[in-house]
Amino acid sequence: MKIKYLTPSSDWQQRLEKTGFGYHTEDHATPYWIEHYYYSITENLADEIYAATSDLWQMCLAAVDHVIANKLYDLFQIPLFIQQHIEESWENDAPSLYGRFDFAYDNYSKQLKVLEFNADTPTSLYETGVVQWLWMQQYFGASKDQFNSVHDRLIQTWSDLKPYLKGETLHFSCMKGTLEDLTNVEYLRDCAIQAGIQTKLIYIDDIGWDGETFTDLEDEMITDIFKLYPWEWLIYEPFSLHIPNDMAKANWIEPSWKMILSNKAIMAVLWQLYPNHPLLLETYFEEPKGMEDYVKKPLLSREGANVTLYKGGRIVEASPGEYGDEGYICQQLASLHKEKSGYAVIGSWTIGQEPCGITFRESDSLITTNKSRFIPHIIEN
Amino acid sequence: MKKRSSKAVSLVLITAALAGCAKPQEEKELKQRVFMRADESAPYTEVTEQYGSRHRGGGMGSALLWYMAFRPLMGGNMGYASQGLAAQSNVGKNAAKANSLKTQTARGGFGTTAKSGTSAS
Repeated sequence: MKIKYLTPSSDWQQRLEKTGFGYHTEDHATPYWIEHYYYSITENLADEIYAATSDLWQMCLAAVDHVIANKLYDLFQIPLFIQQHIEESWENDAPSLYGRFDFAYDNYSKQLKVLEFNADTPTSLYETGVVQWLWMQQYFGASKDQFNSVHDRLIQTWSDLKPYLKGETLHFSCMKGTLEDLTNVEYLRDCAIQAGIQTKLIYIDDIGWDGETFTDLEDEMITDIFKLYPWEWLIYEPFSLHIPNDMAKANWIEPSWKMILSNKAIMAVLWQLYPNHPLLLETYFEEPKGMEDYVKKPLLSREGANVTLYKGGRIVEASPGEYGDEGYICQQLASLHKEKSGYAVIGSWTIGQEPCGITFRESDSLITTNKSRFIPHIIEN
Repeated sequence: MKKRSSKAVSLVLITAALAGCAKPQEEKELKQRVFMRADESAPYTEVTEQYGSRHRGGGMGSALLWYMAFRPLMGGNMGYASQGLAAQSNVGKNAAKANSLKTQTARGGFGTTAKSGTSAS
């Protein structure tokens, strides 16, 4: 796993924009998408990431079962009113599409360690499935390969889920005013259309409640809805109490049981269930329990907010934010792959329960944030 | 080496959006404008759009028209029907009428946590 450089085409920004990728550079200055270098990885590493993702997915399913069976919702700060909805979505095998594990890779031990699981609202899917693939076509044609069948898997998975939808129309929803979220949602909708599903887009604050069911702006009942909007936000909003009372019992995708996996508390539960598993980092609730090199993370922190790094028991790095009231985990400090250009984290996608693609995010510091750069990759032996 | 990447990547939404840019604007279907009012003391309201035959519900499907048509039977001391007659009793099997009698749809109950410029990622 190493960085390699190439000469970018002069019109690469325009080329990306033509594909609908409008946020390659932030504020016209800070690069998000990296065109001129990439991670070269071996086929063996791709195989390792595939196997690790597959194993962790199975471990996560067992962990959800454990949490639900033992009603450990308090550890996750999940309120009472939504717990039955979570249990029903789990028991009924409600449709679920995707998730992304974030891994650290230690250069010396050659070991992957999972940092967290973005199980509810992972983004950078469009960059992975489309932009990264087109980048490979641009510079390598068919001569090289990627670990990236995201596009094929999305269409296949929507096709597989289609018989389990309750109505004729699958709604897609996200916030207004965020190009990144809209691009990701429109990409997912595009793949659903290609799978033969009838779709509609509705912004999250335009969703209506008519006293019996959720509705769209044309008063059409919502029976199935993909939302790029976190469950932990939804359940504290005024309409949340309608979710368990919805006469249509709409399918929310991701389903509400994903609230368990997208919460960092799951990392402590996994460590309890699988102590010393090679893919896991030692993790505890609230206290470091003797660890001196560790990371303290809020249960619901997003984009690296409110994360504090300790080495030798002292703070060496910290990020600001508004999280933490919900509680923390303390996780063993992982060794991140480092190049001259920065520290790298590997994002590994599972779509339709199958590992199918990776992303590299690169940061100047040890904490991965929304400013971290997206680096494409190539498999080369 | 086993191929791991997608065979092809094509998008239909972007294609449709580009095609839509070149599409000539459709002529308005109705030349005649339609106005309605609740009673002789009320101002007229234009309902041309709701009255069009291509409108969802076949022309007479809007909640406004159904409200106008059945308001006298909906109580509120506004019409001729007995106050003892429940509004739902006037619905029968007509789904459009039922929709007009439903509680008014509330919106804005989701999305309050999000701040402008923040992402869900």
